[in-house]
Amino acid sequence: MESTLFSLAHGFAIAFQPDNLWYAFLGCLVGTLVGVLPGIGPLSGISILLPVTFGLDATQAVIMLAGIYYGSQYGGSTTSILMRIPGEASSVMTCIDGNAMAKKGRAGAALCIAAVGSWVAGTFGVIALTVVAPPLATIALKFGPPEYTALLILGLIFLAYMSSSSLVRTLLMACIGLMLGMIGIDNMTGHFRYSFNLTELGDGIGIVPVAVGLFGLGEILATPSHKVIGEVIAPKFRELWPSRKEWNQSFWPIGRGTLLGFIIGIIPGSAHIISSFLSYALERRVSKNPEEFGHGAVAGVAGPESANNSASTGAFVPMLALGIPTGPIPAVLMGALMVHGVSPGPQLVTDHPDVFWGFVASMYVGNLMLLALNLPLVGLFVTVLRIPYAYLYPLIIMFCIIGVYEVNHSIVDVWIMLIMGVLGYALRKFSFDPAPLVLGLVIAPIFEQSLRQSLIMSNGNYLIFFSRPISAGLLIVCIVLLAMSAMTFILKRKDWRDKLAEAEAGEAQQ
Amino acid sequence: MDRRSFVIGTAACVAAGPAFAQGAFPSHAVTILVAFPPGGANDTVTRPIAAALEPILKQPVVVETKAGAGGQIGAQVAATAKPDGYTLLSHNNGISGYAEVDKLFGREPKTKRGDFIPLARLVADPVLLLVNDQQPYKTVKDFVDDARKRPEAIVYSSGGLYGATHLPVAILEKATGIPKLRHLPTNGGGPALTALLGNNAQISTQALSAAAPHIKSGKLRALATFGATRSKVLPDVPTLKELGYSAEYYLWVGLFAPKGTPADIVATLSAALDKAAESEQFKSVVANLGVESSYQNAKDFAAFWEADAKLSDEAVQLIGKQA
Repeated sequence: MESTLFSLAHGFAIAFQPDNLWYAFLGCLVGTLVGVLPGIGPLSGISILLPVTFGLDATQAVIMLAGIYYGSQYGGSTTSILMRIPGEASSVMTCIDGNAMAKKGRAGAALCIAAVGSWVAGTFGVIALTVVAPPLATIALKFGPPEYTALLILGLIFLAYMSSSSLVRTLLMACIGLMLGMIGIDNMTGHFRYSFNLTELGDGIGIVPVAVGLFGLGEILATPSHKVIGEVIAPKFRELWPSRKEWNQSFWPIGRGTLLGFIIGIIPGSAHIISSFLSYALERRVSKNPEEFGHGAVAGVAGPESANNSASTGAFVPMLALGIPTGPIPAVLMGALMVHGVSPGPQLVTDHPDVFWGFVASMYVGNLMLLALNLPLVGLFVTVLRIPYAYLYPLIIMFCIIGVYEVNHSIVDVWIMLIMGVLGYALRKFSFDPAPLVLGLVIAPIFEQSLRQSLIMSNGNYLIFFSRPISAGLLIVCIVLLAMSAMTFILKRKDWRDKLAEAEAGEAQQ
Repeated sequence: MDRRSFVIGTAACVAAGPAFAQGAFPSHAVTILVAFPPGGANDTVTRPIAAALEPILKQPVVVETKAGAGGQIGAQVAATAKPDGYTLLSHNNGISGYAEVDKLFGREPKTKRGDFIPLARLVADPVLLLVNDQQPYKTVKDFVDDARKRPEAIVYSSGGLYGATHLPVAILEKATGIPKLRHLPTNGGGPALTALLGNNAQISTQALSAAAPHIKSGKLRALATFGATRSKVLPDVPTLKELGYSAEYYLWVGLFAPKGTPADIVATLSAALDKAAESEQFKSVVANLGVESSYQNAKDFAAFWEADAKLSDEAVQLIGKQA
């Protein structure tokens, strides 16, 4: 511990060198822009700037490129809250309650809570990275296909808490999502499934085009059909800040989201995407007022926004400690380190202490910089809402198209988004909630692959899920959750969900 | 590099943009399509060569990512691009196998090898036969003996079905005469390595540059290299050839032009590439990746590709169609 503090102090000495501070700032600034602007994601941002770092030393390069990565997680919530457009898969959940808050005139509060939650999560993530990285990293390796399968079963059970509509509607949406997730090359046999001879569908349907279409475009298409209130909901400056009550409501969700996100972020694979989904479901599960979710619940913003930020920091643990990339972005960062002659892996801390500790210390500084960058911007972002719909919405549609095209440079993705936009409109009209569909789409391919991988490992024996401690533990949690739901059912207690179903039935009769 | 030269460098890049249009090739920016996601070998090797090409061609060279479907999308886009030398393709071993896999499934091949003109091989990273530290095998012989005895107990991980880290296992199975082992396909080289490190798979064939840090830390052992000669980084690891097994395989990255590109433009491009490969920038990146210099000019690469593709076709047939 003492040596850790000593090394960290050494790291701060490196991070506070003027040059390194400058590159951290530059990275955070670019990251914020990348996050806010639809049309460019952190992945392309980092790879475009990678050649620029060839002239820098390894520490400066990694400080700047990592700044882009975690900086983009701060900015990602902005368009979700203001316009219901998720910039990235990880900010889909923020669309729901963040945008609902904005409609109630609490856009400023939602943005502030997102920024502060991100800061808490980012800083906690770095502290955890400093203290517990090596032991945690070995756990990450234990997380193989069976553990993944168990985690995703847990995710599917949580799905029931995702939606603000009744269980039947939620399940229907989830099934459509799961089926859409089956499209693409079957990784186990090489067959193209439901691809209609389009190679572009080989990797399946992307999450971003679907989410942008269902949430963003669907919302815009639905606007002309209901009465537009002439008054624009732009709050006064004093109302920008969250009230004391809103801070209180976000305190525990930020804490839970941070912890959950970090743990999930460590897991290799694409688990970081589901961190915000799981956090949202968790908040709703523990909330005293689950019916508020979907209509501007503060916890629905605070939890997922913290979770996706600490997941992005957690992703550095296996990368730095083991040399394993947890996702495409850590993979690019590892590539950048290798280009500079630093090979990430177990030897990184001993071979290149300057790079490691300088990088870790720069993340403390960078997170503070981001908070200082983002809070003053809240006022500016909120003024976007003053733009009348007639001018704002065509611009949003344009940004949606550019943004979706940019992810894969694919026109097929743009078509998917447009079709999903029409579907999103229809779903809104019939009051279906698109969130379970998106979660189904996220879970289906990973679930299928890890299930089949597990069975390859065990030669077809299903006991593998119970013979490995982590997956057995997760499955027990699943069983307990199901048992608890069954109790409510058996005892014939009406919960909020039944009330929702009754309300929906009542609406139908009218 | 200090901040000032960074700013000057950036300014120079911007200034180079609107260069004068000339009659001769190239008169405007050249685009290299990378068929794999950022962060992979293709991306990290193509970006420095593109940067080194700019002063030689006196035009901007833009790297554009066009990833998906195991590199097929990029290959398809490049194959149908206008063959004028302004759209090039950065691809790897994968480009050899698509047609053969399509044949296996009775599908109409979307791209064939004949759709591309090889320009240069940028790197060739020898594949290693790796085991994790929980396996008893110390030599290839230990492994082969055990695999004969209990093939059903050994799982190998790969970056994807019929991919560049799957085919070498088929080649090895044939060369050593061991029965088919169980295959755990994952979503790429990184996840395949993770599966091996976590003992979810017992062996894997992965590129030297990716595996080197884990070999250094003792988590993985290299039993043999598929390279023709021993690697300077791992001089103790024998080649499969010296052990008496006829197996050679590399993970390579090559540049291609679409079929129908005029011969003089192909000549200009390959001469420029030969020169760019000599640049300090490209050489240092390749050296830092831990790959030994393995650049090949258009002529050598064409011959290499021919032989390599035959091997790959054979391996695809050996694997056959999965259940």
